[in-house]
Amino acid sequence: MNNLEKLNRIFCEVFSVEESALNGEFNNCNVEGWDSVHQLSLTTSVEDAFDIMLDAEDILEFTSYENAKKVLAKYEVTL
Amino acid sequence: MAYWEIQNVALRGVTGTVPNHPVKSADFDFFTKEDAELFDNTVGIKNRYLAPEDVCASDLCFDAAERLIAGLGWENESIDVLVFASVTGDYKTPPTSGILQDRLGLPSSTFVVDLPMGCCGTLYAITVAGNLLSSGTAKRALLLIGDTASRMGSLKDKSRVPLFGDAGMAMALEYDIASEKIAIEMNTLGSGYKALMTPHGGYRHPITKEDSFEYEDFGNGIIRAPKDALINGMDVFSFAITKPPVSIKKMLEEQGLDKDKDVDYFLIHQANKLIVDRIVKKLKLPLEKVPYDLQEFGNLGGASIPMLMTYNLAEELQTRPLTLVCSAFGLGLTWGTMVLRTQMVKALPINIM
Repeated sequence: MNNLEKLNRIFCEVFSVEESALNGEFNNCNVEGWDSVHQLSLTTSVEDAFDIMLDAEDILEFTSYENAKKVLAKYEVTL
Repeated sequence: MAYWEIQNVALRGVTGTVPNHPVKSADFDFFTKEDAELFDNTVGIKNRYLAPEDVCASDLCFDAAERLIAGLGWENESIDVLVFASVTGDYKTPPTSGILQDRLGLPSSTFVVDLPMGCCGTLYAITVAGNLLSSGTAKRALLLIGDTASRMGSLKDKSRVPLFGDAGMAMALEYDIASEKIAIEMNTLGSGYKALMTPHGGYRHPITKEDSFEYEDFGNGIIRAPKDALINGMDVFSFAITKPPVSIKKMLEEQGLDKDKDVDYFLIHQANKLIVDRIVKKLKLPLEKVPYDLQEFGNLGGASIPMLMTYNLAEELQTRPLTLVCSAFGLGLTWGTMVLRTQMVKALPINIM
């Protein structure tokens, strides 16, 4: 499984959605139930999957599927 | 710099009381089964004890205090200081510590003080009482730390209700020239006060029937009015994973303590599993030295640290000396670290009343 597939699987599991739902509009304003518990569950899973430790400000930035990709790029995770 | 090395003061005893009303995450009607499972697994709080409306923090603390005084064999007349650390006192005025002095039958010569400092309550209580005892003119202090935080907010606020449990703890400090110093450092970030607050009910915004009871739907299951306590989860999380680890690291360095060799346990405020796990990970703390009780009691505010002592360490506290590094953070925003070395502490079992 490549890194993008890993990221997609995490999003799908945390938000109980199909992979086809993951697009530029998938964010904390548009996705029902995207609260702090879901966001922290997301970042914890990402940290475990990619063996990284996100800074506090990057956890706060994890507010959309696209932002997640940008944050991961900072940690040299190639998607 | 807010740093103390308190000499001549020993921790003699600790115990706690919780209300007889355990609530599982799945019991909350705002959670679906899946929500409750995600909450249990992510936040780690699976159970909490919630006080009914006619039980105050002072009632839980009173029960713990009576049992602890009896367990230690202390005469009520011998107690010089009573600290009540809570944000859920009986009344707005007078201070609850005075009411507890009377209920417990302590002498009129008792020095009493309320400390409404939230999750750092135990650290503040030990800082104040410890410094009061240090010179030896006052010999014994009773520290009562507790809250019924479940009653502070809206019952329809999914971001807050499942986090907190209710408890009342009692700790006993005594002047003892043979004791080892207690080191404490405290910090404040007042600019962050809005992350944890109750907007109406003080004198800045008194309760009014026109707007204090206006419920607003903030989405994601958060429905509350300005009279209700609020928690900005992401701001608190960001604060809690950033500041406390720096304080713990600094304290270990100042005290010359090796986290692997010199410390028996790290007692970290049980805000939630995500925060505690991250502090542990950041400081690379040995997992076996970090007890958790949040799965059973939830976030107990200032009572977290003495509950860890009572629930997780009772036997060891009574049988061998321990070096404890205690970390608390919360309301204010405030945070701090304490190094407490104990010798044969009376740790009585938790009472469920």
